[in-house]
Amino acid sequence: MAERKPVCMVEAINLALHRAMADDPDVVVLGEDVGPNGGVFRATVGLHERFGFRRVMDTPLAETLITGIAVGMAAQGLKPVAEIQFMGFIYAGMEHLVSHASRLRSRTRGRLSCPMVMRTPHGGGIHAPEHHGESTEALLAHVPGLRVVVPSSPRRAYGLLLAAIADPDPVIFLEPSRLYRSVQQVVEDDGQALPLDTCFTLREGKDLTLVSWGAALKETLEAASRLAEEGIDCEVIDVATLKPLDGDTILASVGKTGRCVIVHEAARSYGPGAEIAALVQEQLFYSLHAPVQRVTGFDCVIPYARQEMAYLPDVDSICEAGRQTMRGNDQ
Amino acid sequence: MKQFKLPDLGEGLQEAEIVEWHVKAGDEVAVDQLLVSVETAKAIVEVPSPQAGVISRCFGASGDLLHVGEPLVEFEGEGEDSGTVVGNLGHASGTSDLAADDFIIGAAPSSRDARPLPVMPAARELARRLGVELGQLEGSGPGGLVTVADVQAADTQPTAGEALRSVRRTMAKNMSRAHAEVVPVTIVEDADLHQWDAGARDPMVRLARAIARACQAEPALNVGFDGARLSITRHQHIDLGVAVDTPDGLFVPVLRDVGNRDAEDLRQGLARLRADVLNRSIPPRELMGATITLSNYGTLFGRYASPVIMPPQVAIIGAGVIREQAVAHQGQVAVHPILPVSLTVDHRAVTGGEAARFLKALVEDLQAAE
Repeated sequence: MAERKPVCMVEAINLALHRAMADDPDVVVLGEDVGPNGGVFRATVGLHERFGFRRVMDTPLAETLITGIAVGMAAQGLKPVAEIQFMGFIYAGMEHLVSHASRLRSRTRGRLSCPMVMRTPHGGGIHAPEHHGESTEALLAHVPGLRVVVPSSPRRAYGLLLAAIADPDPVIFLEPSRLYRSVQQVVEDDGQALPLDTCFTLREGKDLTLVSWGAALKETLEAASRLAEEGIDCEVIDVATLKPLDGDTILASVGKTGRCVIVHEAARSYGPGAEIAALVQEQLFYSLHAPVQRVTGFDCVIPYARQEMAYLPDVDSICEAGRQTMRGNDQ
Repeated sequence: MKQFKLPDLGEGLQEAEIVEWHVKAGDEVAVDQLLVSVETAKAIVEVPSPQAGVISRCFGASGDLLHVGEPLVEFEGEGEDSGTVVGNLGHASGTSDLAADDFIIGAAPSSRDARPLPVMPAARELARRLGVELGQLEGSGPGGLVTVADVQAADTQPTAGEALRSVRRTMAKNMSRAHAEVVPVTIVEDADLHQWDAGARDPMVRLARAIARACQAEPALNVGFDGARLSITRHQHIDLGVAVDTPDGLFVPVLRDVGNRDAEDLRQGLARLRADVLNRSIPPRELMGATITLSNYGTLFGRYASPVIMPPQVAIIGAGVIREQAVAHQGQVAVHPILPVSLTVDHRAVTGGEAARFLKALVEDLQAAE
């Protein structure tokens, strides 16, 4: 029964979790406060009362344990959806993610797999302390065997989370906390997943390709609107799955426009922004009209609340990078 | 929404079974009004409402097992619970473009070729500077890549004029380099040649000697100047560059050590240099190392000039056409042969005083009988 009402991203995630648990008895949820409390951001509200404590498990405050349990459950045939309360706490689980989850299939030559999902809030802008606001997706995307997904709207959060849960291998599902309740849209709770491993084109344009993911797409789309008023026609790409990267979509767009600005709120160096810039350079060097530019956070710990917005890429800097790219050449 | 959770019913019991609800969603309840009857392992317990309000939701049905701390009822009228122990999520403003969300899975369909014209970045930049339309080009590189050579070949500007070659090309480059660097100052004077033997009208040897004497009188003009390091090198010898006009362009062969050679030697040296230049047989080393230069355009036409100094030299002398001119001579008007002389110096290395003293010595030597 399709249900239509405007929901925010965290409600869309909740809908997807309800749907996945209803459709597949192997799906279980675990994490800190995910049970009767409903989760620190309320993503798991109602799951415990509907599906019971055997499928919705509160854990101790121990991320190593959460991750390890999820790997074990997944290896034995369950589909655990583990929640790490903030991305800054995921590092305690890295040993299990890197040494086990990512390579279980490879290590056992296919006898075991690890169909787990690790959900965690991602990024800054909600005036939380620094380890509640960072975006260290590069650490995870670098690890072979881990799939890294970042939705940027309620609809994509719903569809991508369903796909992540259905995926037979481990998926890190990074939820931009700045978007949790700031955007509402109608989401059909129809159980339809969206494809993983593909970018989404949010806006078509012919002059300049803006590539981003997560909450930074909010400013990126605003910049595209502002540049349109100046006569610069921007295409906006939501990468959505950071690993494996859908290079074809990005190359098709940059091949068309000849110009590329990458926007992300993570620290500037050694991240997916550099990866995308390198890919564009390798494949499209001779078709580019201007150097690829990046508008990013800084190579520092994300500042506390007062300076947080100064750290995050803003609409002005994206527009300026876009204009500079257009000045690069007038052909 | 505020939830009321199953309280601790005492005696360390952690769970209870719902026997009967006394309220339902939508009911208004008062403080201490009975909400639900639950059965523990020991007894049936009546659970009263902790507050007044409207019930929005009852959790569980008769026969369901509840644990202590799990929600029992939810009251209406409270603010929305968005959770979080830290941070501030804000709420939907409804204006973000993300809410519009007409997205395409994957790439946007396009009628434009995804890789329209591969162009070397350097070729693209050159095309922009030359105003060459890239769309018209067929690249000669791999995969139709447009190269720098393709853009140069497509440049229509040179076909409108004539491309400079060899000597003229060198002249153009040297002149713009010199002009970009040197700070020139020119002073002029006339040399009265009435004491010369009648018929002695080739002034080249006399000019060479006069320049040598002037260099000895004022050595500051026979130097090399390094503008980047701001240093001066004083030369021991005077090696005179002599500008020679040819159909191919300007040549400046060098007459060595003019300070220590007699007139006949200089005359033969000059003749040989000029012949070699006109034959195009002059070796490159004969064109290098001048310490000061003479441009005798007097063989052609013109009076005064401000010729261009070639760094690291700091001075160049221009000699114009010798002409009969009325001059004041010993209180009378007389007609004398007059040689107009121009001296251009690089003011970065040479003062006005040094230039004037040099020119004075030069003109005085020219005016002497022998």
